Amino acid sequence: MTPGARLLKIARWFFNERFSATVVRPTIADLQSELAAAGPDRLKRLGARWRGYCAFWTLIFVSPFASWSEDRPHSGNGGVAVGAAVVTLLTVVTLGAWMVFVAAAGTLVAFLIHAWYERHPSEIAVPPDASGRSPQINFSSTDVAGNVGGLIFVVGSVLIVSVGVPSVLWFLLASTVAACFVAWGLAVRHTRARGEDWTSGGRPPRVLL
Amino acid sequence: MLPKKELLILEMLVSAGPMYGLQLVERSDGALKRGTVYVTLGRMESKGFVESEQETLDPAAIGLPRRIYRPTAQGERMLRAWATFTREVAWEVKP
Repeated sequence: MTPGARLLKIARWFFNERFSATVVRPTIADLQSELAAAGPDRLKRLGARWRGYCAFWTLIFVSPFASWSEDRPHSGNGGVAVGAAVVTLLTVVTLGAWMVFVAAAGTLVAFLIHAWYERHPSEIAVPPDASGRSPQINFSSTDVAGNVGGLIFVVGSVLIVSVGVPSVLWFLLASTVAACFVAWGLAVRHTRARGEDWTSGGRPPRVLL
Repeated sequence: MLPKKELLILEMLVSAGPMYGLQLVERSDGALKRGTVYVTLGRMESKGFVESEQETLDPAAIGLPRRIYRPTAQGERMLRAWATFTREVAWEVKP
């Protein structure tokens, strides 16, 4: 097998054609040219392999943060997955092993929400002034649907924050229960006042539950 | 603002002529790394500062062709403009 052929196969899983052509293949070509230049000397060949493999795996880890790669089509679920794994790893290393549970809980909730929307697709209610807002990590600014999918998000977020800051567990739980009652009351009031089509977006009443 | 690595690559390409990525790494005295040099070069190519083409391989050769990089006219203008800018700033802030 040609040196680097296996790396090329791995790269196909992570990167699209453009990124492979401009970044990955030249990196592997360097490995191959160094190996060819090393000749039969085993020590030199080992050194060339080591440097080439280090370069390739560095590339795998830095590519999710390569800003110019945003315009590439199929920018790569693999890249996103690697980026998430790197961020999780760094968080675990810096904050402690308990972050593993937070990451696991977050992943579980993400799957739950995704599964819910797969079965019950609905539009997310977006405030009229939402255009032009920049993405941010701010629970109060996160758009969630007013249905069970949104409830899963809220409960999941509360659980995750509770794991991180245990002292506010009861406060968050009480707030969630109170918020559910307020939301329920508002929904009933709007339904009675405006009939079945009670949202500005014309959301059917069945999406509440 | 021209990032430090992009400035270094442009300077090397303008002064020494077209080069492969690995040659840039070797001549940079550790400023450029093998794992990231092509990401930087790709970014510079998308900005129009450098252009590249694949080397022509011998039919008997085994392996992938390398890419050779050269500065574009825009890249050279950018380098000159940046040099002028830093010189002017240095003159202005000189005590």
